[in-house]
Amino acid sequence: MLQTAFNGVVTGVIMALPALAVTLLFGVLKFPNFAVGAMMTVAAYLAFALNAQLGWPLAAAAVAAALAMGALCVGIDHLTFRPLRERGAITLMVASLGLGFILENVARFAYGNSARSFAIELARPFRVADVRMNYEQMITIAVSSAAMIAMYVLLTRLPMGRAMRAVADNPSLALVRGIESPRVIRWTWFLAGILLALGGVLIGMDRALEPPMGSNYLISVFAAAIFGGLGSPLGAFVGALVIGLVSELSTLVMAPNYRIGVPLVAIAVILVFRPQGLFGQPYIRK
Amino acid sequence: MISFLILIGIVICFSAILALALNFQWGLGGMVNFGLTGFYALGAYAAALLMLKAGANTFVAAVGAMAVVAAVCGLVAFVTLRVTEEDYFAIVTLGVGEMLRLVALNEDWLTKGALGLTGVPRPFGAAIAPEYYQYFLLALALALLLATLWFLDRLARSPFGRLVRAVREDDVVAATLGKNVLWARVRIFAIGGGIIGLAGSLHGFYYQYIDPTQFSNIVLAYAFMAVIAGGRGAHRGAILGAAAVMLLLEGSRFLKDVIPALDSDQLAAIRIIIIGAGLILLLIYRPRGFFREYRLRVDFK
Amino acid sequence: MSSILKVSGLHAGYGAGDILKGVDVELAAGSILTIIGPNGSGKSTLAKTLAGLLPARAGTVELEGRPLDQLSAPKRVLAGISYVPQEYNVFRNLTVLENLKIAREFMGANGHGRRGFDERLEELFPELPMHYRIAAGNLSGGQRQMLAFACALTARPRLLILDEPSAGLSPILTREVFERVERVNRTGVSILMIEQNAIEALRISHRCIVLSGGRVRACASAQEVLEMKDLNSLYLGDASNRI
Repeated sequence: MLQTAFNGVVTGVIMALPALAVTLLFGVLKFPNFAVGAMMTVAAYLAFALNAQLGWPLAAAAVAAALAMGALCVGIDHLTFRPLRERGAITLMVASLGLGFILENVARFAYGNSARSFAIELARPFRVADVRMNYEQMITIAVSSAAMIAMYVLLTRLPMGRAMRAVADNPSLALVRGIESPRVIRWTWFLAGILLALGGVLIGMDRALEPPMGSNYLISVFAAAIFGGLGSPLGAFVGALVIGLVSELSTLVMAPNYRIGVPLVAIAVILVFRPQGLFGQPYIRK
Repeated sequence: MISFLILIGIVICFSAILALALNFQWGLGGMVNFGLTGFYALGAYAAALLMLKAGANTFVAAVGAMAVVAAVCGLVAFVTLRVTEEDYFAIVTLGVGEMLRLVALNEDWLTKGALGLTGVPRPFGAAIAPEYYQYFLLALALALLLATLWFLDRLARSPFGRLVRAVREDDVVAATLGKNVLWARVRIFAIGGGIIGLAGSLHGFYYQYIDPTQFSNIVLAYAFMAVIAGGRGAHRGAILGAAAVMLLLEGSRFLKDVIPALDSDQLAAIRIIIIGAGLILLLIYRPRGFFREYRLRVDFK
Repeated sequence: MSSILKVSGLHAGYGAGDILKGVDVELAAGSILTIIGPNGSGKSTLAKTLAGLLPARAGTVELEGRPLDQLSAPKRVLAGISYVPQEYNVFRNLTVLENLKIAREFMGANGHGRRGFDERLEELFPELPMHYRIAAGNLSGGQRQMLAFACALTARPRLLILDEPSAGLSPILTREVFERVERVNRTGVSILMIEQNAIEALRISHRCIVLSGGRVRACASAQEVLEMKDLNSLYLGDASNRI
């Protein structure tokens, strides 16, 4: 029980990163992006190439992959989503689906379907109060917490962070407050790319690298973001922890194969009882 | 070679039926269905199981599969759209589709899991000699495709069809006109689901064998590509789109002979990359596709 | 008196038809101009077009003789126009202080008063510092309107466009808002204001324009319009009412 809960927390902490990316992207661009799963995959393989193939330490590889992914996301947005910006959320969602297909299969083309793992030395797990933990899980919690704190500081203390929240809050008011939205969109993608890359590397460390590794988490990540309230960074973190924890705990009472049912039920429950999510403000159209 | 073309013809027919279904839900109704693959699998499994476990004949099985998928789609639409907007609906359909696929993969007692169901009966399978059977199946698939097309054309011209488009263009306006938007959307999604069920049954008849790997997200990519290429809302466009996509895909099998260095995983990956890129390029440069939606030509003057 | 804003032959709208069908407006520097008119006459559309949120389909807009037509909304802020929308005119999820900071950081007010809060604004809005930590969405209607003013003024605009500043406010608050508008005007900011609350608004205005059906139906001094017996006749938009 305690062990399962701990595993759930680790899963939740991992998902918090992409959930925050989803929430930022949704806030600024106003559509759920279905390519985020594949973006995590691509970033994880980037880190894999640097780590396992070029022999970099994983930390350095992860940082490089995160920066590269941030830049890549800015470029991808420029090529795919920018021309479609005025066409409405549905078109953008379909485009993001297509982008997800491309990215996941670029990874498949380069590395095939078989599972791979990072070149890291496996340390022996240790026990704390009867809960088995390992070194990677500690790193995961540290990295994710540090990234969340950094994002929090960025979003509340820096002008660009405030501008991102302002655009998420009210895009047309942001324009008349002098905020140039293309710049904000670029920064949002850059940060989302970094978060997704870190998320991808952590998933790869927790499980293994394979092409669907990112999209497997897609629904849980969306559920976390919706649960916490799309557009709310704090909500994304809490939502991810809740979804991760409940998903793992659900395996105690039902077949683990249907873990994916948990985020679905969570989406249904939150939509029925509190559509704006735990920490979100009611969503105003226009 | 002739036989190869006939087989491609059959595949095109049921892909086109699937594309018509998506076109109805998304192109006409404005409801994105990212769970298409799961619903398609549901149709195929429902038909096969009705025959294998319940001993139904092929006709009853197909109709049953249509009813099952329509009911599930209607339910999903009802539960989700009662409380929320399209964005969430897309996410929910994706999740439900994935869930359906997992059921097929994990409920061994029912679906035989990864092994799949073998020996799916075919319509008139015993009455028609095997060497002629593919001609019959092509004729049947073609007839069903034309029937679907006829049905959807009529529907598009009916008052319900106008309501569907009104809901897509502006649900608020449609609601203020006193139309029950939720109920309209549930019906749109359920009717589309019924057609998906039909395509799924045909899938089973054609392969005589179904397993979860046949229902990967590639199907979703193909269907969206077909609808976008054909022009959202255009029925004939969706059919031609499906034909073009399938020919392209089947044709790309020969790519292996041209570039022998690629293994089959890589070829599969390239195909999906092409589909994904095509999808985005069409959305950007050819958003109306190559065909126009059916419209009433009424002169208001 | 020189004019700060000159709009001629402005056409704008959404979708197929034009909502503004050739609007001319001239605003004397340092004055308050109020635009009144029935619902759907195009008042808010005019404000949005001037702020750069909606592209003009024809016609020109000049601020102090400088054409604005090519400028995006953020660029117009730098050029000297501040616009306060009717509703949702503050970032509700951000605190009051964050709203003000955003205004200071992005509205081109960087040379002046970057450190600390502009003392001129403190004088105009003494109540704001008390609420710095509150999310702007939790302010009362009147406080929110004051915050929106303060943000808009941070840019040190030469022209302030207000879209129905009294919408949804009680009569007492309405009077207070208009009193603030007058004080802002006295600091040298020209004001273009859209109002339903015609009589109250006209008391502080210099001139008045009646907009109806996307066209200017009348243009007169505020005094003249106030003295008219039947203000409603203006709203009919009948050309014979042209003063």
